[in-house]
Amino acid sequence: MNTDVLVSARALGKSYPQVFRPRDRLRALGRLLIGARDVDAIAVLRDIDLEVQRGESLGLIGENGAGKSTLLKLLTGVLTPSSGSVTTHGSVGALLELGAGFHPEYSGRDNIAMSAALYGLSASDLRDRLGAIIEFADIGRYIDEPVKHYSSGMVVRLGFAIVAALRPDLLITDEVLAVGDESFQKKCVRWMEDYLGNGGTLILVSHSMYHIQKLCRHACWLKQGAIAAYGDVFDVTQAYLAYHERKMAVPTPARDSVANQGLEFHLLDLTLNDLAQDTPILLDQGARLRVRARVHSRDGRVPVIIFGIARADGTPVYGVSTEMDGVAPWAESANCYVAELEFPELSLLPGSYNVKAHPLDSEGVRLFDTIEHPLTVRGQSREFGVVRLAHTWKTVAPVADAAPRAATGTSA
Amino acid sequence: MPTSPALNLALHFINRELRSRYLGSLSGGVWALVQPLIQLAVYGAVFVYVFKASGPVGGVGFVPFLALGLWPWNAFAEALMRGTTAIPDNAGLIGKVALPREVLVVAAVSSSFLLHGVGFCAICIALWLWGVPIHLLALPLAFLTYLQLFVLALGFALTFAAIQVFVRDLSQVLVQVLQLWMFASPIFYAREFLPERFRGWLDFNPVTHYVETFRAILLDTGPVSLLDQGVSLLIAIVTLAIGFTVFRRLSPRFEDFL
Repeated sequence: MNTDVLVSARALGKSYPQVFRPRDRLRALGRLLIGARDVDAIAVLRDIDLEVQRGESLGLIGENGAGKSTLLKLLTGVLTPSSGSVTTHGSVGALLELGAGFHPEYSGRDNIAMSAALYGLSASDLRDRLGAIIEFADIGRYIDEPVKHYSSGMVVRLGFAIVAALRPDLLITDEVLAVGDESFQKKCVRWMEDYLGNGGTLILVSHSMYHIQKLCRHACWLKQGAIAAYGDVFDVTQAYLAYHERKMAVPTPARDSVANQGLEFHLLDLTLNDLAQDTPILLDQGARLRVRARVHSRDGRVPVIIFGIARADGTPVYGVSTEMDGVAPWAESANCYVAELEFPELSLLPGSYNVKAHPLDSEGVRLFDTIEHPLTVRGQSREFGVVRLAHTWKTVAPVADAAPRAATGTSA
Repeated sequence: MPTSPALNLALHFINRELRSRYLGSLSGGVWALVQPLIQLAVYGAVFVYVFKASGPVGGVGFVPFLALGLWPWNAFAEALMRGTTAIPDNAGLIGKVALPREVLVVAAVSSSFLLHGVGFCAICIALWLWGVPIHLLALPLAFLTYLQLFVLALGFALTFAAIQVFVRDLSQVLVQVLQLWMFASPIFYAREFLPERFRGWLDFNPVTHYVETFRAILLDTGPVSLLDQGVSLLIAIVTLAIGFTVFRRLSPRFEDFL
């Protein structure tokens, strides 16, 4: 029973009606009563196809307003799809919004009973688990206080404790866990790892790529209501981060190649691993990168060539010139000089970068031209930062349990 | 005890509904009994001492005659009002939690009928102690009629609740309609008080049947026709079926219009 599908969505879409005047409501009512579909609607989700299998963990990422929460609500059955369908097998536990379903006037204990009833738990089942829920929530005497006196952290504790006690086949959760304090977050992450380890299935929405990469094997990137990328968690999260970096970057003016040709020096081309293209070239982490630039020298003087790597948002990572290393470009012909630089094991961490080349005059003072090529490094590293610095661990112990999830999460 | 999740959920909501009405009020559930008693006293005083309606109506005193009409009507009217606004009242749940939405209306209607049912029994016993010849042994029979009235009210409430989400004016209009409906039902008067040619019109009002049946069963004011029973049962069931159909058709879109 390892391959059965818990949730599947087919051509799923959700749109909200445009209601401006009271008359529109009346018209919508009439249309619904006679069984017609209303036409004028704003689509917030379009053509979503998803399949989540038992034991899988899926991270949902995307910008604010991309439709992540709407998708979760459709999957849990809180909302009704406007088009397409959702089929679920097994029990679904959802932790969507802070305190959803809690009544502020009632005590924590009463709200546990209500939530349990909403999840279809009978009174006797609840009696068996009430102790465990209260213990997990760990909010002390507040359990008998009305929920309106709770802090937001306590509300989340209570909500998570209920879901944790139910151990649903599928757990769907939104960013709410971020409200809990450090120790409770750890408790939750530990619980989730244990839950996943025992065959639980998780759909998680988070803006923390760290959490997504730690808990999920697959990721789905929603962009403006449609799936932008779906697949291995590392590929998707890196593409998503790269998208954000490019969005933040200050646009550089387009290179005016005709004007540049009148300059003392100008670049003829820049190739990465013999490829000269504007679309990003894809490298695996630690692969070899060869950067090669050809420079035209108007007066035949020898240029200095400088190469640089910057993150997609413009942050410089590394730059080096022929002059710094005490070499000179090789003269291919009287007016054409070439320099090639090789990084045998590129230590860049997964992400998006730009490789740049500039020619400088023979003295290495004046900078003339620029060509940039995008570069994407992919890999499954969860390290932070930009590059992997050479390191060895001292005074450490081996990890007791099995390899971390990330190391095993290679299936696509 | 194995119960279906939906029933379990409905019981929870009824419990919550009952408690939320008296949460924070000092008198608590006592108010449920006191309020109709005051209403009865006011109406009784006005009609008996101001309008001199003290004479026996259909063979019984005016106050018991009024009581047996007023309580079922109160249950019915309150169930309709509360049922109609049940969806907006619980907007916090809709769009956040997956639940069968009918349960909210069922809970609102049930709690009204429960409260007024208890009041109804209490007032019958009180009247009996007072010396009014009420057939207390017929109470179980009256309960069946009460249950049928519940079915009728639930049917109306489901329809109204679904429409209320789209057209918010409904609950405002309903207040006026219920006022009119009360006086169009033989609660303050007996059928015989009406001019001959209007008497038949009362049969188009589904509430007439219930008010008259309660009086017939408990006060012996007249015979109970079996045909009449069958027809009104059919009306109640059809109303409920229409209610469920309308509600099921509209409920998937509630969250878009709340």
